[in-house]
Amino acid sequence: MGKGQRATQVYKSTEFIEQRRDEDGLVVGSDPFKLAPSSSASLLETEKALKTGDTAAVAEAGAAEPAAAAASADTAKHGGEHTSELDTVPTFILVTTYLSYLMLIVFAHLRDFFGKLRHPEEYVQLREQNGWAPMVSDFESLWTRRLYGRIRDCFNRPITGVAGGHVNLLERVSHDFNKSFEFTGRVRNVLNLASYNYLGFAQSEGPCADKVEAAMREHGLTQASTRAEAGCSQLLVETEEMVARFVGTEAALIVSMGYATNALNIPALVGRGCLILSDELNHSSLVSGARLSGASIRVFRHNDVASLEAELRRSITQGQPRTHRPWKKILVVVEGLYSMEGEFCRLPEIVALRRRYGFYLFVDEAHSIGALGKRGRGVCDHFGVNPQEVDVLMGTFTKSFGAAGGYIAGSRALVSHLRLKSHSAVYAEAMSVPVLAQVSSSMRMIMGEDREHALEGQQRLDQLAVNARYFARRLAEMGFMTMGDAGSPVVPLLLFSPAKIPAFSRECLKRNVAVVVVSYPATPIITGRVRFCISASHTRADLDYALEQVSEIGDLLMLKFHKGDASAKRVAELEGGGRIKTE
Amino acid sequence: MDSQPTPGEPAGNEPSRGLLRTAWDFSFRMVLRYIKNSYKDDPFRTFLEVCLIAFIIWYITKQKYNIGNNEIVLSEKEIDELVEEWNPEPLVPELTAFERETLEKAIVIDGPNGTKVRLASGSNTKPLINFASYNFLGFLDNPQIEEHAYETLRKYGVGSCGPPGFYGTLDVHMELEKQVAAFVGHSSAILYSQAFTTTLSVIPCFSKRGDIIVADEGVNFSIQQAVMLSRSKVHWYKHNDMADLERVLNEVNVQLANRRGKKALPRKFIVTEGLFQNTGDIAPLDELVDLKHRYKFRIILDESYSFGVLGKRGAGLTDHYSINPHEVDLLIGALCYAIGASGGFCCADKELVEHQRLSGLGYCFSASMPGILTVAASDAIQILEANPDNYLVSMRENAVLLRSLLKRIPGLQVEGDNDSPLIHIRLTPETLVRMKRSGGAWTNTDIDRVLIELTEEVQKDGVLLTPSRYVDEHERLLPNSSIRICVSSAHTRKEIEKCAHAVKSAVSRITSKKR
Repeated sequence: MGKGQRATQVYKSTEFIEQRRDEDGLVVGSDPFKLAPSSSASLLETEKALKTGDTAAVAEAGAAEPAAAAASADTAKHGGEHTSELDTVPTFILVTTYLSYLMLIVFAHLRDFFGKLRHPEEYVQLREQNGWAPMVSDFESLWTRRLYGRIRDCFNRPITGVAGGHVNLLERVSHDFNKSFEFTGRVRNVLNLASYNYLGFAQSEGPCADKVEAAMREHGLTQASTRAEAGCSQLLVETEEMVARFVGTEAALIVSMGYATNALNIPALVGRGCLILSDELNHSSLVSGARLSGASIRVFRHNDVASLEAELRRSITQGQPRTHRPWKKILVVVEGLYSMEGEFCRLPEIVALRRRYGFYLFVDEAHSIGALGKRGRGVCDHFGVNPQEVDVLMGTFTKSFGAAGGYIAGSRALVSHLRLKSHSAVYAEAMSVPVLAQVSSSMRMIMGEDREHALEGQQRLDQLAVNARYFARRLAEMGFMTMGDAGSPVVPLLLFSPAKIPAFSRECLKRNVAVVVVSYPATPIITGRVRFCISASHTRADLDYALEQVSEIGDLLMLKFHKGDASAKRVAELEGGGRIKTE
Repeated sequence: MDSQPTPGEPAGNEPSRGLLRTAWDFSFRMVLRYIKNSYKDDPFRTFLEVCLIAFIIWYITKQKYNIGNNEIVLSEKEIDELVEEWNPEPLVPELTAFERETLEKAIVIDGPNGTKVRLASGSNTKPLINFASYNFLGFLDNPQIEEHAYETLRKYGVGSCGPPGFYGTLDVHMELEKQVAAFVGHSSAILYSQAFTTTLSVIPCFSKRGDIIVADEGVNFSIQQAVMLSRSKVHWYKHNDMADLERVLNEVNVQLANRRGKKALPRKFIVTEGLFQNTGDIAPLDELVDLKHRYKFRIILDESYSFGVLGKRGAGLTDHYSINPHEVDLLIGALCYAIGASGGFCCADKELVEHQRLSGLGYCFSASMPGILTVAASDAIQILEANPDNYLVSMRENAVLLRSLLKRIPGLQVEGDNDSPLIHIRLTPETLVRMKRSGGAWTNTDIDRVLIELTEEVQKDGVLLTPSRYVDEHERLLPNSSIRICVSSAHTRKEIEKCAHAVKSAVSRITSKKR
């Protein structure tokens, strides 16, 4: 924490923090980081905050969040929040949700049955024909054709330009029940609560974009080779060093795609005779990586440290199946911030287990790096855990940094090994120059190393924290059932019923708000949800507008399940997670 | 075992009371009479039946043997002790001396990658002629594409901040998809943001557990991983050997014809590569298409290295053989090599492409390609389409020239198809034997070391080459170590000659040294 305190002091010594402290923290006016002015002083002039009593605590918490203290104080509380939230679901909702799905499936089969009778030609490709098996089988595609098909307009909505605080959506209509879409030619500017633009670095102007352009002029565009062959540039080496410094490890390896960072690197770490213990809600890329590695895979209950410990004790003592040979290595794979749940992994407890049981710990910080912690260094920073205590720190640049690809950081031995043996380094294309430049320029800004914009990075971090807390708290106050920990930039709101899922998305779009809705198979069947991604580039007006609309839609769709006490309890929970006694 | 009594035998006959009792007595007597009769007719059969019943009783009541559950019950104290004793291997093994050397000698380029590059490390500060990057068409240093990239940056920024499903689909993505499909001549296309992951996503998306894949033994690592991830049944055939392929296809079909019951027909695929990364060979697509129809296997073709390279228009293997691209059911290509941008694509029928938008893991679960690189790919294809001869003719001439020059070098083995700009060279086994002083055997590491030395030697003459790198222990069949040379249309005749000359003198210097 020594470094962190120093950074805070530098930050506090400026006038900016004085100004911020007695104000709300939410920004009024346009996107605070859009068309970033040449100096941070003039950037400050663009924001004017409101002073209201009810958000003072939020602002306070956001402006100075001593991560470690908060973490150790409330980690115990975090556990089981996910399940306890679900325990309070009214039975009526549970029953109707299951019934709705049942109805959908029955109707899907009925429609298929009559469809096959009336238009057999449309179903030809689903059957075996003349010795050719169908490419997609009838049963497999039922979900896609009959359930997903109904709500296809809520996904893959094309955009143009930058996915910033607002985004330009290409308007489309369907005349054949979502089988095909037609573009109207109109472009709609909507409020973006969907993109992972946590720190607002998705920009086409400003200091980062300027640096990207300069880098392209100097280094060209791409490498057309792999990192291990002829695709390693000086720029790549320097950026890797910077990433390592940022994360707090000895070294780092950069991979040109986020999914590949997991899928192609885990096989270089574990193999046959090794065991992977994986959280049940881990991302698909981690699952692919685990499968490709050839190691045995066991799953423990989401964020349940007791379940992990029980599994560890069983695995270590029983050894491999049948032979009882001891496992060569055990790799525990968790995510820093679960992007569908908005929950942090319980890192301090897992690290304590690591010390006791001697497994290796792999933390996927795809969503948490840059978005969590006082200094934006991810979940370790948030909980005040020394990054050395995590063996493999993985993260992506797609989210907070407005770039693409990912990294693996850890000890020098680990990274050297990966440079030689990781499938991504040896076989996959090296990262392109503009992406590298975006990573390094945004990261430099977050670290406060960009002299011309020394404060902007910290300001973005604070802004995100304030925005996220404000949004989550207001939703809870309104009586919505939300998930996730306090301070998470991802705020999921439970919708349950499959009919409400597309309805919510369409209503939001009607009101010029872009949101992401997710349901089975991305979530458990019962907990369909809408997921808001909060960004530092949202202003107070943006968030208030969104909250107002969401509240109206909530009334319309009868989503405010929490009444009185339950709502107050949730608000207290969210506040408790972040309430900090400052100075 | 056979001493078990027949069930219900010793029951005595009492006068019946009530209807139920009567019915019971009646049926019991029937059974008894039946047993008596059958025993009289065939005592051996009754004996067998008794044995069978006894066996069933024994089978049901015996201790269950469960494969997955042979756990030993331990006390908490024992568990604690075992946990204490468990000594896991280190997360990563220590590097060997050779591995450390490899890392130290890795190529690090200072400045842009292109036909000429400058190295960051080493004593050599002169620009080197680059034969190591897959820059077949010289698009890495195309000023037109670069100029447009600056403009694109100002519209789209860098990252797309989301997967395609969640507001990550840009208008330029959709345009590039259409452009690629039209260029290849297929119905529809889908973009992935990394070439390696494209294959890794497409194959498991269609070929599932229970399906059948027949794959070439010489395919690149991405395909090897993809077929593994698919969990399908995989059969391998000898590299580019159509007779062997036919044998395997036949075997599979015979097996399927004999399958039991009315089990659904599995999907069957032939998986191969257009231009083989590991050998520089070209797959005989005409014969593959013929076999496809005769044996009813679909074709998955990885054109990562042939897209933009083979054919009159540069549209890949189908163009090279003038075969209707629709004959290839799933056509996978890369935009990061010859096209000089990033990512990959899959061309297929519209329904199959739409299926991938939900089931293609690399598409569904990762951020979409940055706008800058999308537009760069689009520009490159446009330039190639407008003037294919400009690029392809010179590239092929260069390839043929370099290949013929290299073949003249004594002690050198040159691999790959004549048309292919991907050339693998290695020292012939005889040369290697001659080089060994004690006549001992060569290990892979020794050969790799010699090849690295060779690349260092040619660097002194101003040529950049790279040994082809593999993760040895993960490759299914480790290809023989080689140096991969990528010929570009941007190379001049003089540069080609310089390369051949540099290799020649390096080989003679290396082979004269006894070790």
